Amino acid sequence: MTPAKKPPILVVDDNPDNAEIIRQYLEIRGYPTTVAHSGDEALALFETIQPAVVLLDVMMPGRDGWEVCRVMKQHPTLGRSVRVVMVTALDELRDKHEALQTGADDYVEKPFDLPSLAATVERNLKMRRAKAS
Amino acid sequence: MSESILLTDISPDTLSEAVQLLDGWDVKQVPAEQLPRAVGGGTENGVRAVLIESEDPTILRSTIERAHAANIPVVVACADDVARRRAVELKAEEWYRCPPTPEEVAQRIRAAVGRGAPHLATAVDRVERVEYEQLLHDSLTGLPTLPVMIEQSRALFKERGELVVLYLNFVRYSKIEEIYGWEKLDAVLETTAAAVREFLEDTALSTSRLMVSFTNDDDFIFFHVPAAGVAAASENEITEIVTRLQRHVGGRIEAQHGEEIAALFDIYVGRAHVYYNPKIRLERLIYRGIREAANASRSIETRERARRVADLRTSLRDRSVYVDYHPIVVTETREIFGYEALARGVMRSLRSPEVMFDVAAEADLVWELSRLCRSRAIEGIETRLRPNELLFLNVDPHDFNDPAFNEHEVKYPTRVVIEITERTAIKDYPKFRERLKSFREKGFRFAVDDAGSGYAGLGSIANLEPDFIKLDISLINAIDTNFLKQNLVETMVRFANDHGAKVIAEGVEHAEEFNTVRDLGVHLVQGFFLHRPSTLPVASPAKSLVGN
Repeated sequence: MTPAKKPPILVVDDNPDNAEIIRQYLEIRGYPTTVAHSGDEALALFETIQPAVVLLDVMMPGRDGWEVCRVMKQHPTLGRSVRVVMVTALDELRDKHEALQTGADDYVEKPFDLPSLAATVERNLKMRRAKAS
Repeated sequence: MSESILLTDISPDTLSEAVQLLDGWDVKQVPAEQLPRAVGGGTENGVRAVLIESEDPTILRSTIERAHAANIPVVVACADDVARRRAVELKAEEWYRCPPTPEEVAQRIRAAVGRGAPHLATAVDRVERVEYEQLLHDSLTGLPTLPVMIEQSRALFKERGELVVLYLNFVRYSKIEEIYGWEKLDAVLETTAAAVREFLEDTALSTSRLMVSFTNDDDFIFFHVPAAGVAAASENEITEIVTRLQRHVGGRIEAQHGEEIAALFDIYVGRAHVYYNPKIRLERLIYRGIREAANASRSIETRERARRVADLRTSLRDRSVYVDYHPIVVTETREIFGYEALARGVMRSLRSPEVMFDVAAEADLVWELSRLCRSRAIEGIETRLRPNELLFLNVDPHDFNDPAFNEHEVKYPTRVVIEITERTAIKDYPKFRERLKSFREKGFRFAVDDAGSGYAGLGSIANLEPDFIKLDISLINAIDTNFLKQNLVETMVRFANDHGAKVIAEGVEHAEEFNTVRDLGVHLVQGFFLHRPSTLPVASPAKSLVGN
């Protein structure tokens, strides 16, 4: 009766309400989801959780999303396989270039709707599988 | 770590599978009402996490409070949404909805422990560790950085009394990054490091203790400490090794990244022999040795540059520049639409157009070289292209100041597309546009090269009113796997459609990249996936080389 095991997701958002909403939505869809409320917490959890996809809020106090993304992407063992999705309002071309510089794979525009968020997670997981094979 | 205990009110039988997934954990079950007191025992009893199922709010609250007081993380098994909300409110580290899979239980416990007690300190420690790791070892190549290497060689150097420093100066690696983006340079550096290591295992140096460091930019340093009873490699030996190394690395890069990239760079190796001196601090000796070796490599580079300038002067005098034509095809039909002219020196040292123009810039010969390249390329319109095919010609914005370059110079203006790179900052837009206007009136068309590379916004591209927008290669590299790049290209295509321009994707090397840009609506495509650049045969116009 065990459903097919889905890969873990890490949601990073300094707003606990946002994070909880995303977590609940993803968990109902079968993704084991972990929440972190700051950049430091996200990095601390990174090795334990080994997430397949990280949904990363950009605007956070302390270490912001760009910095977290850069560190994750340079991780010696996990950096290559993790897909990082920036959650932000990247309306400027410049922001998108900054995102490319840090190694981000995708982004979700804020404010987002949950179905499109789930679709983004889905397409990044698909890409991750394709790359692994 | 084998003493980790999960304290819980759930029966161990139910949890056995989950606990097996957690390596080295034991379950200790107590009735729910005894949980708060049991937690009070704290971590000295080996309790590393609490898993609670009880729906009794009082028990839940006091368990979580006591657990937190003892720095133990709590996971709550929630039967319904009310329970979940309560768990979140009480700040339990983690929760899951019942019934869970064993994987989920394990995952939650792992996460709770990960974020759990002495929370902030652990977090900061781990982050710092990852960052230090990056400072000590280059994440791309796995090579140690200089401070690590000095520490490692300290004892050996002292014991053997001498050390040879080889400084490998890779020239124009930065150009790769400029043209293809950082991802490409990362990949090239990785190949380089692997090739260097592989090569050294096969050389006379392998008998000695040898260490390789990567200075985090694009130069490499070797420490060669001769093995006991073996003399340090002689100057001649090293010269010979270096020649072979250059060939080996070049070959590997060409095999993996293509000849365009391999032709771009050179390796110059400088050498310094350092002798141990007990009066001088060892690290200073080594740093001086590195500086000496670096200087030596630079002076070789300078000599080599002078030789190339001489080569260039000869080439200009003899007009020994030829042109490779790189097809640009219509995405949908794969029919040839035109060719980009790539001027190359006949001399081996000037094969790459980037190298040739680099040398010309140093010797102040850019206009002369540009004139020669233009006239060579334009000759091809008559002799090599078919009547309906366009010629894409690279023109530096500075060339517009050359009095010899004007709208009357070219015989077939309507068949020429002038490519202007976005990289060179155009300072005076109104004046520049005026200049373009006179060309446009003659029938010339324009393309903005390297667009979307982040140098200039869409506004300045619109300013040039281009007929074609050539996307920066870094955007196309692995575009199939990166949704941000796809989004950027989509934006560019929409922008081009709004402005009556056509988008060209260059550097398309794989089927996946081709399919992605096609789906994004890119009009024209250029790249090794379809065609390589070639000197088209004279007199017999090119056959339509439709790809399969």
